[in-house]
Amino acid sequence: MKTIIHDLGKEENARLLAAADQVVCADGRYAPCQGCFKCWTKHPAACEMKDALHQASRVLGNTDDLTIITENLYGGYSAPVKNLLDRSIGSSTPFSTYRGGHMHHTLRYGKRNSLRIIVYGDMTDAEKNTLQLMAERNALNMGFKEHSIVFCADAEEAGRMA
Amino acid sequence: MMEKTVLINCSPKQKLSVSGFIMKCEGLMIRGRKEYFQLRTPADRRPILNALKTAGKVIFVAPLYVDSVPSHMLPFMKEMEAFCKENGLRLKVYAIANNGFIEGKQNEPLMRVMENFCVRSGLEWCGGIGIGGGVMLNVERIMIAVMFGLMLLNMGLRAVQGENVLEPVRSFAISLGEVLLLACGIIAYAVRLALHVNKGTNAGKWYTRIMVPSFVFILFADIFFIIFSVFQGGIFRGWFSRLQPDAKYGIIAVKKNNA
Repeated sequence: MKTIIHDLGKEENARLLAAADQVVCADGRYAPCQGCFKCWTKHPAACEMKDALHQASRVLGNTDDLTIITENLYGGYSAPVKNLLDRSIGSSTPFSTYRGGHMHHTLRYGKRNSLRIIVYGDMTDAEKNTLQLMAERNALNMGFKEHSIVFCADAEEAGRMA
Repeated sequence: MMEKTVLINCSPKQKLSVSGFIMKCEGLMIRGRKEYFQLRTPADRRPILNALKTAGKVIFVAPLYVDSVPSHMLPFMKEMEAFCKENGLRLKVYAIANNGFIEGKQNEPLMRVMENFCVRSGLEWCGGIGIGGGVMLNVERIMIAVMFGLMLLNMGLRAVQGENVLEPVRSFAISLGEVLLLACGIIAYAVRLALHVNKGTNAGKWYTRIMVPSFVFILFADIFFIIFSVFQGGIFRGWFSRLQPDAKYGIIAVKKNNA
């Protein structure tokens, strides 16, 4: 399963579907993570909050190849995209292990293929370095075997890169 | 007169937040005027921005969520960037990051995001500390409270029986020392950071952790989650299952066949 998460607006869904099995538009119309851990302990891989991201962990967990299209914000994801990722930690289990020499949660859906991050917008060199580190850390955290990052000048170019 | 320091607990948790506890402990060592805030909801943003108008320093205390700041901080940071530019604020910014993994170094991307935020906002990035295994501080504070209660109870019973009432104090002091020893790295760096905040100097970026071997910490973390789950109604209910989306609630994915 190939999934694209993007913050380009719902009108881009149809176009992006040409390059993926499913598309998730991060529109920000959902609550941020409350840090309650219930997606690990009470009802695994489902959030306590019953909004659009209630089962985001399951949607992303079942993804082999994930592409994230995001606007740069301080060398990280835009708020709607980061919100979606924060609400998806149920794709791992509450138990811990070593991965890449560091402590991480064990993976509910096992190792997955690739994480590709496409970042657009104004970026400083320091922000690009931070994004590269974040891509590396996210890939390890989420259990992707490979990762890559692409920097684009604007949203239009980012949409074409998917 | 010393500049006012604003301390912001950026945890979304309502109760028992480690970031809130760290903020209060750090605040005890900060001299001059202080204001404490929690950033949880959009309604929390305006009072914090208003407090920044008359502040010289700000300390963000944040948990690590998916290798960065929790998402609810980002809209606030954008508002703060615009607010600081509009009002010509040149605050000194410090950050304390804590994560549930044992390695303090895992906070590095969060610290870099905070530094990038300062550059964009025209603020002075003054560094901070990244704490690994911060969740153990919660366990420690509960342990200290329980041990203190037991000491008082023991003292009372001994007083009634006419025995030495200071013996429980000695036992409590030894246990307290052992608990604090586990946090000695965090305490040392927190003190060091407070000295820099008080002087208004750059603290640099430092990483520390709970002083427990990682395999022991992992064992404790696993036990913690089992206990936590028991209190939430049971254990091993699909903990390891590859659960599929069931479309019971709003799934936001658009699939090829239903586009």
